[in-house]
Amino acid sequence: MKVQEVMTTKIEFVDADRTVYDAVEKMVDRRIRSLMVRFPVKGLNHGIITARDIVFKVLAKGLDPKDIKVSEIASKPAICVDKNANINEVASLMENKKVARILVCDGEEIIGVIALLDLMAGTLIMRARGEHDF
Amino acid sequence: MIFEKILSLSKKEQKVTANMREHIKLLCNACDLFRTAMEKDNRDLMRDVIDLEREGDSIRRDIISLIYEGAFLPYLRPDLCRFVEIVDNVFDVLGDTANSYLDGKIPEQIKSECIRIAYFNLKICEMLLITFEAMLKGEDLREKTLAIRIYEKKIDDIKFSLIKDIRKIPISNFWEGKILSEFISGLATISDIIESASDHLQIINVIMK
Repeated sequence: MKVQEVMTTKIEFVDADRTVYDAVEKMVDRRIRSLMVRFPVKGLNHGIITARDIVFKVLAKGLDPKDIKVSEIASKPAICVDKNANINEVASLMENKKVARILVCDGEEIIGVIALLDLMAGTLIMRARGEHDF
Repeated sequence: MIFEKILSLSKKEQKVTANMREHIKLLCNACDLFRTAMEKDNRDLMRDVIDLEREGDSIRRDIISLIYEGAFLPYLRPDLCRFVEIVDNVFDVLGDTANSYLDGKIPEQIKSECIRIAYFNLKICEMLLITFEAMLKGEDLREKTLAIRIYEKKIDDIKFSLIKDIRKIPISNFWEGKILSEFISGLATISDIIESASDHLQIINVIMK
């Protein structure tokens, strides 16, 4: 199964120079667990900030999220795979790089994001179809 | 399995199940055609979807007639008919949505997400066919119905973001807005009805055992 079948196409962005508090606000409003971080350089120079980053790198350390910039805690550069990549390749990549989210690209354009839950959904669909190449 | 035993009794039952399979396959073709028509913005192909809906009606009438002419034991007939009616309801909604597409113009901002829903509608429909075949073999349907629920959830997620997006699109008159609203509503309802159909297959499967 290709990643484009199970990826999420709705991507929310936050600018790198915004505060972690802005990112938290956006995540709570949109009920999402991660945001793409937009750096002021064109191209594929994106990062990812997750709820995990915010909790462990800021809140659990007693730091004020209004004092810390998104760019300070975001993972950068974000890992990207081609839209035609197989979900088993993505699972290996996630395991090797120890990440839970990977961007999906069509050429230089980011078209989606694939998370662990999407991989699980994809695997269950393959099982139901009787495909077992995962 | 009990279902296989029932089928082995008469040709009538085999005719019914062959027609039911044909009905679902036709629905898959209609969903595929709908998606292609949207991708290529081909209005002729979209009109063909409406023709397939009429063909689906004809198959539904044949199935119901065969069932009430004596196929299957009486206690099974209402649930089989109900399943066929639910599948036919998908045809109706698909036909209405195709009509809304032909009546209006889909704004560019939401086109790719609408095509994505159309793609998932095809996939969920294919999964319904797989579930139906599994039921005929007397297999456990749990994994199949879960896959259908996963697709349905994905479509729901896209629907909610689409609803937010369309609020930002300027609408010039009442009818333009109504047609667009009906198009999105229809497009996102198809998976709900297919989910109901798969739930009903599960009920039939339990009754058979």
